[in-house]
Amino acid sequence: MSRREPDHLTSAHQVLDILYDISQLLNTQLDKETLATCVSMIEAGVNPEALAAVVQELKRENLALNVQNSNGR
Amino acid sequence: MSSVHLESLVTAFIPQARNDQSLRDDLITRCGEILNSHIGHSPETDIGYLADSIKRNLLNTSPNGVPTLRFSNLLSRLLEQPVLSRKHASLLFLHALSASQASVSKGHGALPSLSIPTAPRQYQSPRNATPSDLSSPSNGPKRKSKADLLREYRAKNEKSHIPEALLLRDTLYLLQGISGKYVQFLSVKDPDPNQLVFKEDSRHIISASTKALVLRLAEVGYLYIRVDAFVRESEGKPGIGMIEQSLCHHLQSQLTEYYRLIAVLESQMSSTVPDDDRLDPQQQQPQQKDSREQETGLTLKRLDVWIQEWRLRMRMMSVCVEGARETHGGALVNLIHGYADNGDPFVRKFTDQLLEEVSKPFFATLHKWLFSGDLNDPFSEFFVAVDPELAHLQYVHQSSGGHLGGDGGFGGLGEAEDMAGERDSGLKLWESKYRFHKEMLPAFVGEAFGRKIFSTGKSLNFIRYSCQDSDWVATREKLSNTGGTLQYSDIAGLERSIDTAYQIASRRLFDIFFEKYGLLDHLLALKQYLLLGHGDFADQLMEALGPNLARPANTLYRHNLTATLEAAIRQSSAQNDPPDVVRRLDARMLEYSHGEIGWDVFTLEYKVDAPIDTVLDSGAMVKYLKLFNHLWKIKRIESTLSKGWMRIAGGARTFLRLQDLNPDWHKVRITMGEMIHFIRQMEAYCQLEVIECSWKILLDFVQKKEGDLDALIKAHRAYLDRMVKKVLLSSPKAGREENMLNQVRELFSIILQFREATDDFYNFSLSESAYRDSERDNERGIYTGLAREPRHGPHTLNDILSRVREYGTMFSEKMQTLVQGLQTHPDLDCRFLAVRLSFSDFYKSRREHKS
Repeated sequence: MSRREPDHLTSAHQVLDILYDISQLLNTQLDKETLATCVSMIEAGVNPEALAAVVQELKRENLALNVQNSNGR
Repeated sequence: MSSVHLESLVTAFIPQARNDQSLRDDLITRCGEILNSHIGHSPETDIGYLADSIKRNLLNTSPNGVPTLRFSNLLSRLLEQPVLSRKHASLLFLHALSASQASVSKGHGALPSLSIPTAPRQYQSPRNATPSDLSSPSNGPKRKSKADLLREYRAKNEKSHIPEALLLRDTLYLLQGISGKYVQFLSVKDPDPNQLVFKEDSRHIISASTKALVLRLAEVGYLYIRVDAFVRESEGKPGIGMIEQSLCHHLQSQLTEYYRLIAVLESQMSSTVPDDDRLDPQQQQPQQKDSREQETGLTLKRLDVWIQEWRLRMRMMSVCVEGARETHGGALVNLIHGYADNGDPFVRKFTDQLLEEVSKPFFATLHKWLFSGDLNDPFSEFFVAVDPELAHLQYVHQSSGGHLGGDGGFGGLGEAEDMAGERDSGLKLWESKYRFHKEMLPAFVGEAFGRKIFSTGKSLNFIRYSCQDSDWVATREKLSNTGGTLQYSDIAGLERSIDTAYQIASRRLFDIFFEKYGLLDHLLALKQYLLLGHGDFADQLMEALGPNLARPANTLYRHNLTATLEAAIRQSSAQNDPPDVVRRLDARMLEYSHGEIGWDVFTLEYKVDAPIDTVLDSGAMVKYLKLFNHLWKIKRIESTLSKGWMRIAGGARTFLRLQDLNPDWHKVRITMGEMIHFIRQMEAYCQLEVIECSWKILLDFVQKKEGDLDALIKAHRAYLDRMVKKVLLSSPKAGREENMLNQVRELFSIILQFREATDDFYNFSLSESAYRDSERDNERGIYTGLAREPRHGPHTLNDILSRVREYGTMFSEKMQTLVQGLQTHPDLDCRFLAVRLSFSDFYKSRREHKS
């Protein structure tokens, strides 16, 4: 069991690496950490398309805030 | 749990929210709402489909294919990993994100384009957006390029290019074989890729390069029309072959794939061009709206790339279609096979696929033919064709077999006539019921194997229908066990099963012929009776028939002949032969004309029935009769001579004591000795050197049990031909085949005449001696009988002697020419005969002596 745990960890890392590569390829502009969070959410059963919408929403929000800030400055 | 994740997401994306508690809460609730909503629940869970759509997107953004390849690579690695349980969902997430990303980022202009060649376009001023001058982005804004000048010139003349999107739409129509608005096929019925009409109105022109591109694309449309027309035509046509049907099916499925491609392309185009109005040619520069759409959308050049593979495929299909119009069945398979040997792997693969499909019905027919001998070929596509006239003649055996079975002795005249009609059907059935069509034979089978297949099926069919074989079921079971399924991709297996089937079928047929129908017995009987192998039988027959045969032919009666024949059989060792053989023997007279005597027309006959008559066909029987005729003649001469010799020799010793005639008698005996030598040598040559040797060869073949019925027929024919050739001394020179035979026949008639002359001489001597005896008695004064008639004068004696001498010298001369002819005969055996006839150069030295 103790031997399998690190195995599990490394393979999880590999998966994440691959997914990150794909996300780079697809130009999603997610960093690795965020991707990890999203994937774990999806694994937990979250609707992927809805999650995509959330990410989209958040990005837009961030942008709007930035614009506000820059305007405010 | 998900709220924790949400929070981390929010803070990751919006740094401000880390400090602002209310903003954070607000965002989290909003996100939670979105998550709980049911947006975009896509029903598909097929990862392959998803991967495809991602690949398509990637390909659209960068047509060089590198990212696509990379994606496939990554995907396969991902699929190997065991950790993730919802790979599909993750992938879908990324895909959704990327798709929306593209639409969001459109507004920014900060998107790094993946497609390298189009990258500079984004930075161009909208003025330069037409594709023609996009290639000069660096100096474009600074000074006017030639293209700019050209466009200005055109603008002055109020002429402009038709926007590419419109042409694109037309081209897509062309690909489906439909004329577009601006580009049309010249004629719909017989479209030709080189006969495109470009509709240019006064203000719009199409540049030559675009025309060339459209022409290239239109070729596919043109080919499509042809293929499609063929498929449609074939669907409606009655009586179309199965191979063609399967070809049509294959083409149809290819076309369906083609439709799919067109549909995808169309959807691509419509995503580029959302509404038609915008693309009205009046509007000057539609591309200007967003040049980036060209990166994802469709252009003529991209279309060309997409269609590239299909162009090749369409060409192949069109070639097949062209071929299919003229050829049929197996020849069609052959035609397609002709393209299989191609260095281009694409062409090879396509052809292989096509062949696999197309040859299926062929192999179905082949299987049936090879393993059960049934030809199931309703459209005559197989390389074996049945003769419709002979197809019904399958049951000959039953009818004629019944005839002979019920008829214990020699067949009656009427029945014989009946059977003669059916007689030749065995061989005819075997040889021409099925015919081999070489042009229909697929090349991948090879002709040797084709012949084997042909022969195997024919044998099976023959066993089944002509031999009425009850063991048939067992054989068939054995056969079907050996063969798996036959198909194009397994040629080696096909050859193997052909070989086995061939061997089994041939062996079976051999067994049937030799064991069930006793072919060897019949062959032996023919040799013994018709070729006079039974010496005692021949002698008996000669003795019994001789006096009868000397009479004119029209005084002979068949029943007398058959009775004599029966007597001869009973008195000779022939009576030990199996009754089945003996009852087939019959004596008969040939057609005779006026003046012929019995010797000329008498013949023995041996009757065979189906299926033995396949080997012993009527042609072979004629040859046997010819041989019999000749051998019978030799026999006749021989017996005549030996009888004459006995008379002379015996008579001379006992009562022919005429001193003055002794020298003449001596000469007669010498001549007769010469003749006897000749006839004995002839006989020995025919029996020992020709018949027995040929028989040995035939027997060797039979014991080997190799080859099929054809080989057997051939072997028997060779046997017979060899005998005919050598016994009848025929020479290969055209027109002079019978030269030698005629000389020999002349010699025979000379011998007969000589014999007559010697008979006369004998009678003369007899009466002369009786006369002299009575004269002597008178001198002694004893009366021994009535006064004799006056003796024949010396005139009669001279006449007889001159005849004897004449025939003697004539014989000698003829013999010399015969020997001379035989010495230069091309056949070695015949030359040996010459040596035997002219032993120790008897005739040669005589000629030299004479000269």
